Amino acid sequence: MNYILHLLIMIGIYLVLSYGLNLVVGFGGLLSLCYAVFYGIGAYASTLLMVKVGISFIPAVLLGIVIAAIFAFLIGVPALRFRGDSFVLVTLGIQMIVFTILYNWVDLTRGPYGIPGIPRPVVAGYEITSLYEYLILVGVILLFSLSVLFILYNAPFGLALKALRDDEMAAEGLGKSPVHMFLYAFVISAVFASTAGSLYAAYVTYIDPTSFTLDESIFLLAILLVGGAGNRIGPFVGTVFMILLPEALRFLGLPDTVAPNVRQMIYGLTLIVLMFLRPQGLAGEYRVK
Amino acid sequence: MMEGLKIKRVSKTLNGIRIVDDVTATFLPGRITALIGPNGAGKTTLFHLITGELKADSGEIVYKGDDISKLKPYIIARRGVGRLFQDVRVFDNLTVFDNVASACFDQEVESPWYPFVKCSHLKRKIREIKDVIYSYLNFVGLSDMDNIYAGALSYGQQKLLAIARLLAGGYSLLLLDEPTAGLNPVMIKKVLEILERIVEEDKGKTIILVEHNMSAVTEVADWVYFMNEGKIAFFGRTDHVLGDKEVREIYLGM
Repeated sequence: MNYILHLLIMIGIYLVLSYGLNLVVGFGGLLSLCYAVFYGIGAYASTLLMVKVGISFIPAVLLGIVIAAIFAFLIGVPALRFRGDSFVLVTLGIQMIVFTILYNWVDLTRGPYGIPGIPRPVVAGYEITSLYEYLILVGVILLFSLSVLFILYNAPFGLALKALRDDEMAAEGLGKSPVHMFLYAFVISAVFASTAGSLYAAYVTYIDPTSFTLDESIFLLAILLVGGAGNRIGPFVGTVFMILLPEALRFLGLPDTVAPNVRQMIYGLTLIVLMFLRPQGLAGEYRVK
Repeated sequence: MMEGLKIKRVSKTLNGIRIVDDVTATFLPGRITALIGPNGAGKTTLFHLITGELKADSGEIVYKGDDISKLKPYIIARRGVGRLFQDVRVFDNLTVFDNVASACFDQEVESPWYPFVKCSHLKRKIREIKDVIYSYLNFVGLSDMDNIYAGALSYGQQKLLAIARLLAGGYSLLLLDEPTAGLNPVMIKKVLEILERIVEEDKGKTIILVEHNMSAVTEVADWVYFMNEGKIAFFGRTDHVLGDKEVREIYLGM
């Protein structure tokens, strides 16, 4: 039962991430490889604020959001001058730089030693300790995040982003500013990544930089490519599929000596086959290029 | 005073070739002015310069009294300059309805906070534009395809959609790059009729028409600029320009 609750909590956290990233990748059509940066900034910012400054969970999450949004703005301004392959490479570079800083700025982040003993979240004077309580906390934040994001998806804002994605020159000819719209999307998506990061840190009570690597950014992008980007159902399908598939493969009854490797290979093979059969993702209508 | 669009001594060199060479032209509101000339004469590049996709090397482009030649394309669009692209450029992964809708919102409504701070305004606005969108879709005969992705339409239908999108944008200066190419005779007639209606109903609107279809040009345009090798070679009343010996030899092959 605890195992299922744990999976549900992780799915909830990853739903916040994938629906946030959807704004940039699905609506904006920008393949970002640095989303884990904002996930990490949220986790570290709220953790350090709780551990070193001693403020409580909710203000720490909110301040973490502000800090992540500022970073997203500072990163987005230069990165969003690029499109296509160049944008992918620029975000890859940003991901590497931020990881290196998290890993080596030992005075601030404790680097590879990580930060253990993160206090459990206290919400309105009530300390959250059991898995059930965590699941409710994640669920509430997920619902709030989705209601905000779905309004944006359906608003003229979402439509303008999709227009810019499909044909930037034509959309700009209709008066849409690519720089402003993409920057809004980039910063808003970072807000949700940061929220998810704070939740993650408070849930596992230990963070180190290896949770926020390039691998993590690729995994988040893969969720959208597998599930389908640019709509409301794709991120859900992708998140559930990508988190549950490796878990399901545990029950194949493979011999222990080769099991982890074979599981990884089946996982990889499934993704390849999927891209052959559904290049737009399981529930996608738009093919990310 | 109606000033329209004034192009003053504009030049543009790309890859060592002078594509637009010292062009001076005036396009007055309340009329349709045609811009004709052989392929490669610089007509589309001139459009790129007006909309800001390309920046002129020298010269001024003045619209409604302001020099717009240094502005970004989206700002020029917000000043009322709309364009129909030669290669249509509809939004393939948006529905027919959403393609037209994308032209209907201004930057305030498109901001991310608008749906949160002005929720009721937004709902009303969306209701209002729905009728507008369907009236344009009806006009081009696409209203029963409103839920189809634009990428699935034929070239001719995409062109009609692009025209509907442009009209829905409510621009005061319309740059039309071959609006009748790829359309059937009935649709050509309809499109030309709406162009005439636009300038008749609103004398503040200016239309510039790039066209290779001479019967369309004679039908709707009173004035014609003839462009050749980057220069304005001839300007005058349509029948004068099309009757000119040089124009007939270089362009019409007569």
